[in-house]
Amino acid sequence: MDGRGVSAIAPSRRGSRRALGMTVTVLAPVLLFAVLGLVWEWVATHNPSLIPPLEKIAKEFVSRPDFYLSQVWTTLASALIGLVIGVLVALVIAAAIVHVRFLAAAVMPVALIINVTPIVAIAPALIVAFGFTRLPHITVAALSVFFPMLINATAGLRSIDSQALDVFRSMSASRWNVFVGLRLPTSLPFLFAGLRQATSAAMIGAIIAEFTGTNAGLGATITNATFFLNLAQMWTAIALSALVSIILMGIVALVERLVLRW
Amino acid sequence: MSKQSAAGAAAIDPTDAAPAGVAVTGVRKTFRTRRGEFVALQNVDLTVRPGHFVTLFGPSGCGKSTLLRIIAGLEVADAGAVSLFGDAPAVAAKKKNIGWIPQSSALLPWDSIRSNATLSDRVNRRADRSRTTARAPLDADEVLGELGLGDFLDSRPSQLSGGMMQRASIARGFVQGAPLLLMDEPFSALDELTRESARVQLLRLWEHYRKTVVFVTHSVEEAVALSDEVVVMSPRPGLIAGVVPIDLPRPRSTIDEDTPAFWDAVRRVKELLRTGWTGEE
Repeated sequence: MDGRGVSAIAPSRRGSRRALGMTVTVLAPVLLFAVLGLVWEWVATHNPSLIPPLEKIAKEFVSRPDFYLSQVWTTLASALIGLVIGVLVALVIAAAIVHVRFLAAAVMPVALIINVTPIVAIAPALIVAFGFTRLPHITVAALSVFFPMLINATAGLRSIDSQALDVFRSMSASRWNVFVGLRLPTSLPFLFAGLRQATSAAMIGAIIAEFTGTNAGLGATITNATFFLNLAQMWTAIALSALVSIILMGIVALVERLVLRW
Repeated sequence: MSKQSAAGAAAIDPTDAAPAGVAVTGVRKTFRTRRGEFVALQNVDLTVRPGHFVTLFGPSGCGKSTLLRIIAGLEVADAGAVSLFGDAPAVAAKKKNIGWIPQSSALLPWDSIRSNATLSDRVNRRADRSRTTARAPLDADEVLGELGLGDFLDSRPSQLSGGMMQRASIARGFVQGAPLLLMDEPFSALDELTRESARVQLLRLWEHYRKTVVFVTHSVEEAVALSDEVVVMSPRPGLIAGVVPIDLPRPRSTIDEDTPAFWDAVRRVKELLRTGWTGEE
């Protein structure tokens, strides 16, 4: 009687424990967001010159959504064009490096110098060079993307299974065969890891490039707001930058799940 | 021709230069290591007649895998010559006349099992277009079915067990349809029971298609169960201690291995190993 009772209860208990686990994983971040929101609100009401209350940010966006969406679009376009260019250049160079040994020795120091040079310092220099066009913004975004993509792509293209390579070589596979049939698919997880880093880097690069010499874009919206101490505008632009970056990374993660099905 | 004795697998007959099977003459290979030069193979001669299953057997470090890699053209010998049906290894590889079955299954994780088995159709298509190849591709579904993988044609390698992946790798080698199959310890990563069942399935498949096979192993039972001849190698420097012909009747896939003749062959292989090798120093 007793034993039957236990065995009847045990599975349902395990099931409820799993449901509890699910609830916790959903609830935990929501709870943390709520706590952070309360802290934010507390600071905003006690120290209004520091940060605006959340409802003011929301009201600011609702009051002129066209303005903000157009700024988002400007920044997003620079970031995406820069992303595509930076990724393509990095992929081509990575493919070349993997096949020609001395190229790696030649390219890597240059890539490293590009990486360690602060992007904030390059942006004004590029505006001087290219003028008040979109070109410097795209270039800064592309430069920010280049290094993480190059490192990941090179590592990925090199990470092939040597015994699988033996199978290809035993059939006298061409370099193209090995590249398409082995190197590229092997490198895909690395490429997506690089792409995830690269998307946020492209957004950061585009925003930083907009800090000077332009009135359009999220970066310019933020710097303009500092001149007028318009906290609501500043934080609306900051929030939108974060939101766009998260959406972009979500898209990359989604594509990754669709492509990497093995 | 009359000099070509049935037992003399390792004896090269200089008057018989017919480009049949595999002929290795005077092959030498050294590797440079930090501790100096290491002689992996010293003056190795070997013949494998067409349609025969020959196993290179010996302890680790005897150079059996190196010899197999030289035959495949994956390594180049420092001296000596290798002829595969009259071609040098590099030429035979260009013609897709070599099927290589590696130690790990080395399947492509993104491709289905069927697609893995037909890899040879997508690599080096020039050999097929120019009709220089001697390969006669087998039907992938049929070979996979014979190896008990008929229900897994559309599965990915990660969905298979280790033994099944190894069988899929063997299928890839057979489907290529090359006249020569080289197998580098394909069962060494499997547990004993899986290994025995994989061995029986390889036997059945080989007895069906009868390709020329050079197989590498360090298991005596495996060598004897599979082979027409066992080439016993000894290390430091790597050389051939002798060849033991295995006269067990075929097909062997259905017979009991636990016979006096089987254990007699195992004993002869072990004896030959002991004369050339006194154990790990």
